[in-house]
Amino acid sequence: MDSTLLFSLRLSVQVALAATFLIVMVGITAAYLLASKNFKGKELIDILFTLPLVLPPTVTGYYLIILLGRNGLIGRFVYDWTGWGIMFTWYAAVLASFVVALPLMIRTTRAAIESVDKSLINASLTLGHSEFETALRVVLPLAKKGIVAGTVLSFARAMGEFGATLMVAGNIPGKTNTMPIAIYTSASSGDWSNANLMVIFFSLMSGLFLYIANQFTKRTI
Amino acid sequence: MGLSIKLLKKVKGFTLDVEWKIGNELAILFGYSGSGKSLTLQCVAGLMEPDQGFIRSNGDLFFDNTLEINVPPQERSFGYVFQDRVLFPHMTVKGNIAYGLKGLRRSEIRDKVAEMINLFHLQGLEDKFPSEISGGQKQRVALARALIRRPKALLLDEPFSALDGPIRLEMRRLLKEIRNDFDIPVVLVTHDVMEAYTMADKIIVYSEGRVVKTGSPSEIFYLPVGVEVEPLRDRI
Amino acid sequence: MALLLIVMVIQSAEFLFAESAKEITVSAAISLKDAFGEIGKIFIEKHPGAKLVFNFGASGDLARQIEAGAPVDLFASAAQKDLDDIDRKGLLVANSRANFASNQLVLVTPTRSKIPVNSFQDLQKNQIKRVVIGNPKTVPAGRYAEEVLRYFSLWDTIKEKLIFAEHVRQGLDYVARNEVDAAIVYSTDAFVRDKRVKIVAVAPEGSHRPIVYPIALVKGTRNENLAKSFISLTTSEEGKKVLLKFGFEIPK
Repeated sequence: MDSTLLFSLRLSVQVALAATFLIVMVGITAAYLLASKNFKGKELIDILFTLPLVLPPTVTGYYLIILLGRNGLIGRFVYDWTGWGIMFTWYAAVLASFVVALPLMIRTTRAAIESVDKSLINASLTLGHSEFETALRVVLPLAKKGIVAGTVLSFARAMGEFGATLMVAGNIPGKTNTMPIAIYTSASSGDWSNANLMVIFFSLMSGLFLYIANQFTKRTI
Repeated sequence: MGLSIKLLKKVKGFTLDVEWKIGNELAILFGYSGSGKSLTLQCVAGLMEPDQGFIRSNGDLFFDNTLEINVPPQERSFGYVFQDRVLFPHMTVKGNIAYGLKGLRRSEIRDKVAEMINLFHLQGLEDKFPSEISGGQKQRVALARALIRRPKALLLDEPFSALDGPIRLEMRRLLKEIRNDFDIPVVLVTHDVMEAYTMADKIIVYSEGRVVKTGSPSEIFYLPVGVEVEPLRDRI
Repeated sequence: MALLLIVMVIQSAEFLFAESAKEITVSAAISLKDAFGEIGKIFIEKHPGAKLVFNFGASGDLARQIEAGAPVDLFASAAQKDLDDIDRKGLLVANSRANFASNQLVLVTPTRSKIPVNSFQDLQKNQIKRVVIGNPKTVPAGRYAEEVLRYFSLWDTIKEKLIFAEHVRQGLDYVARNEVDAAIVYSTDAFVRDKRVKIVAVAPEGSHRPIVYPIALVKGTRNENLAKSFISLTTSEEGKKVLLKFGFEIPK
């Protein structure tokens, strides 16, 4: 086996784990707020969070470059002050995966949270618990299946991210070539045996993740 | 002592406009479905906000729109038993009952829970889940859960409507015991005449969002009181 | 009703066949984009009714497409290797091959960059953090760049700083946007973005294989004559003038 193959596998897992960690933190919070609160601009926020799900990853990548490139709206300040840029690093790959997979987590979790009986929440309040405690001890535990399913789906999506990742992290062997990018490079240069190996592995792994996610969603509804 | 309220609330074409006062007694809100009884309880508990009025108990002011006071439900210290019991499905009987306790040492919690288990005859069910116990047992767990915090008042929304006859009798007896042991205002919502007649110290009759009569059971059921109560009364 | 349907079918069939009778697809290395764009215009003027479709990309990617059966009439690559790959698979029309342009490799930096770079050796400086070259696996410019870096014994020292672009214009774009500190591209590319990009060094002769662009007919072309006319135009005086205008050189 090629050393790049092992490296790209390790990198893909690393990126996906980091992205999924962020996704779980942000996703659960966002899903809870969207599910239980009404505030001005809620519809807009909802659309904004869902956009990466329907936009092509290249468009998402494009927006990330505009924001975070060396000349980007935010990136230029970071570069001027620290001389550091996120582009072409594995952090950029994490960010790309995060943005692209977050909507999946939010949608799944939000649906699960919304299906929790409101009277359970009322009961918890009358028993002296704050909204935050209620969320932690009643709502989220009851939404567990949806949360786990969302997490697994997000992880799988993060592992498979390609378009936006290629645009912001680039293809740097030994640094940012996640497995999807490595497959692309192998196929582009005619290295079919390498590509085959990676493709088979990836397909099996994705199938496994879907199976796991299904087990959790089957019994809800 | 007691509970005194005045509420005005308009919701979806329905207007609730009531005022009443009770002491540490068992008061029953009695009337047809949809007459505003449950809405009253929800307002008292803080789960809904009245448009105008006040809610006072034991010298504490929980709501007053003129003073812009609206204490959130988690700080009102009222015990509430919902119509559908609403036990937490992912916690055991023990867990449900203990849920109302905060900031106590483990041993204290254990003791208080044990006390409730005995009081409500739930021995042997501590580790069962709500889905594994009967309706009557669920109701007793709900009562235990609400009362373990020694609330300042107990609010019950049609708590026995889904139970069979014999169990109902038992629950009514239990509630009277509670009224004696806990010495707090107890407000119970029902449209069942027998319940109203046998349990209440005071009956508050609701009709279409207003209070049409208050009094003791004998006053309500034996004296001529007008066209709203007669049809209800004749059901005895 | 049936008559209407038949008429419609015949009309659309005519349409299809008419189109293919006068259309050719040219897969060309992306560094040829501007020059071929202009040659293309001249070609259309000379062959009214003909349709010219350009497919620009990294020569390696283009070769893979042809190997996979892409319906392409002509292939113009930035290196002999990619045409050789196709030839070995028997996909080129014999004796149709012609070398029509050559190029130089240069080291460029963003005009906005304040880091002083005057030679390839300067790439070793600590301030130079990111250098982009084409992906040597698929981009000829990347292979040439690797040759130059090895020639100067720099490949191992600056390997850590290298970023691979999927085609040479992407590399050019990175440096034009100041996302990287330096890039190795064709002089013709630098010419196209000369406001944002400045040439700081030229790869000396002998530091890499000569950069020669061949063009050839792909087997299975449906418009051999039209395709041959394109090759003729490219190698004619008119074609040469356009290539020179964009900074290419003409091989002897």
